[in-house]
Amino acid sequence: MLNELKQNPPPTLTEMKPLQGAEALVSSLLAACKKELITLARYPVSFVASFAQVFLIVAIFSLAGQMFSQPGSASLNVNGVVVYGFILFIFLSDTLWTIGANIRQEQVQGTLEQLYLSPANKFANLASKIVNLLTLTMILSLISMGVMSWMLGGLPFHNPLLGLYIFVMTLSGVFGFGFAFAALTLRIKQTAETLANLLQFAVMILCANFFPFSALPEPLRMVSRLIPLSYSVDAFRSTLMGFPAGFPELASIEVELVIVTVFGLLTPLLGYWAYIRAEDAARRSGSLAEF
Amino acid sequence: MQSGYAVHSLQANLSVVLASTWMRLLTISRYKGQLISDIVVPIVMASMPILLGRATAGDQAGQIFEARTGTANYVAYMLIGSSVFTIVSSSFWHIANWLRWEMQTGTLEALYMTPTGRVWIAAGTALYSMLRSTLSAFVSYFAGSLILGVNPFQGELLMALVFILVGLLPVYGMALIFGAVVLKLKEANALINLMQWLVSFLMGVYFPVAILPPFFRFLALAFPPTWMTNGVRSALLGVGYFFGVWYKDLAVLWVFLFIAPLAGYFIFTRVETAMRRNEGLGQF
Repeated sequence: MLNELKQNPPPTLTEMKPLQGAEALVSSLLAACKKELITLARYPVSFVASFAQVFLIVAIFSLAGQMFSQPGSASLNVNGVVVYGFILFIFLSDTLWTIGANIRQEQVQGTLEQLYLSPANKFANLASKIVNLLTLTMILSLISMGVMSWMLGGLPFHNPLLGLYIFVMTLSGVFGFGFAFAALTLRIKQTAETLANLLQFAVMILCANFFPFSALPEPLRMVSRLIPLSYSVDAFRSTLMGFPAGFPELASIEVELVIVTVFGLLTPLLGYWAYIRAEDAARRSGSLAEF
Repeated sequence: MQSGYAVHSLQANLSVVLASTWMRLLTISRYKGQLISDIVVPIVMASMPILLGRATAGDQAGQIFEARTGTANYVAYMLIGSSVFTIVSSSFWHIANWLRWEMQTGTLEALYMTPTGRVWIAAGTALYSMLRSTLSAFVSYFAGSLILGVNPFQGELLMALVFILVGLLPVYGMALIFGAVVLKLKEANALINLMQWLVSFLMGVYFPVAILPPFFRFLALAFPPTWMTNGVRSALLGVGYFFGVWYKDLAVLWVFLFIAPLAGYFIFTRVETAMRRNEGLGQF
């Protein structure tokens, strides 16, 4: 053993290089995903609480809607607007908290710097957060669709393939936004939680997840038009509702599809670029472990 | 270590409370974004059902809402709901987050080694939370009223204030029980998220609790914030007290005022003692 070590000594700290190549990336990604899923399994209350939360959100908004509805005049379009908007909202909300706040949590717990000192691919750590999102939030959104459909008395469901395309592009864009938010978290630290909270509420209003865009005052609607996610929300629900009169509200579906596609393809690249820069800056300044 | 005895005099305990409050106020003064968020979030929360209502009922929104709740002023109704919710939610959030933060950073166990009573440190956190959330809720209500075009000075403002002040102590008593749950289960974020929606549901943030099914209505009426919210709405908008007159509703809140803090103290100290004897407080 001793002779072996003398013949093949382990690399010194300065000789160590990050693991590179596709195989190393896949291996790091799988290990990071496994770690995320194990962590998820260690907090069963969190899992159950998320499900209970969906029921409560549905109940609260359904009851709030009831306060304004006359018996026998329930509008199917409003149900579709709320439910499909809600599904995109939980993905955005979970992305902000799972990717951004998770980085922050690792900073507070003191594991982030150690993770970055290892020769594993750093992108794998970031990408593994998405696994959490895709498993838990996907199940949550499917359940919420079922619950809402039951509570609100049926949902319109048309053009599933086009709807799926818009959904995938939107998710891709949202994840890219999550990467950018993680980058910001490394810079602004504790303020990230406040910002995530504010962003969530800003999106609720400006992207009109729970009501049609026509309910917004004109100045706010102009701001909505500047946000790509607004077009995703509008295109997604208009498509699944079968393009009822007045939908989509912000632009024609062709224009919205172009915007959603560009959003889905470009945002992950920009988000990752921003993250790499922030990470590099944090490592140079030695602030990875600061909070 | 020879002089490491616990401090018990009232003056010393008050000093701990004030020091804890002051430390937290000083910390939050460094995060101005959080203070702005405290004011903006209730307005945004109220805006969602208002916009949903306008989109659903159009010009008839006020008329339909009045038939359901007793007031056509749905904007003020929602703003009151979201502002009181801010106070209630903050109490749970601040107590739970304080415990969780200290656990994660590893300072909770160290804090427990100091010769001070933990409940007094918690009381300091509660006082800080009361000051921060009550002030934010007031600013939010007045700013929201001005933005959304309703008169914030209508109704009996003093009576509304009395309902809020009497309701604060029971709310913090419950927050202490919630803190004990977080100590035990550790999953603060998930529990806080769930609690926020549960609180909104039970206190009737956007609707009167009278429309809930009997079981949930019973739970809602056993929940002090429900009486707080309805008291404020009745004082400002005249939607009607649960017992028809203000003093009977206020009497119920007084009963909660004696029960909830005692229950909170009892449960918190029991959980805390059990944890110190078993796994300790440093784990998360």
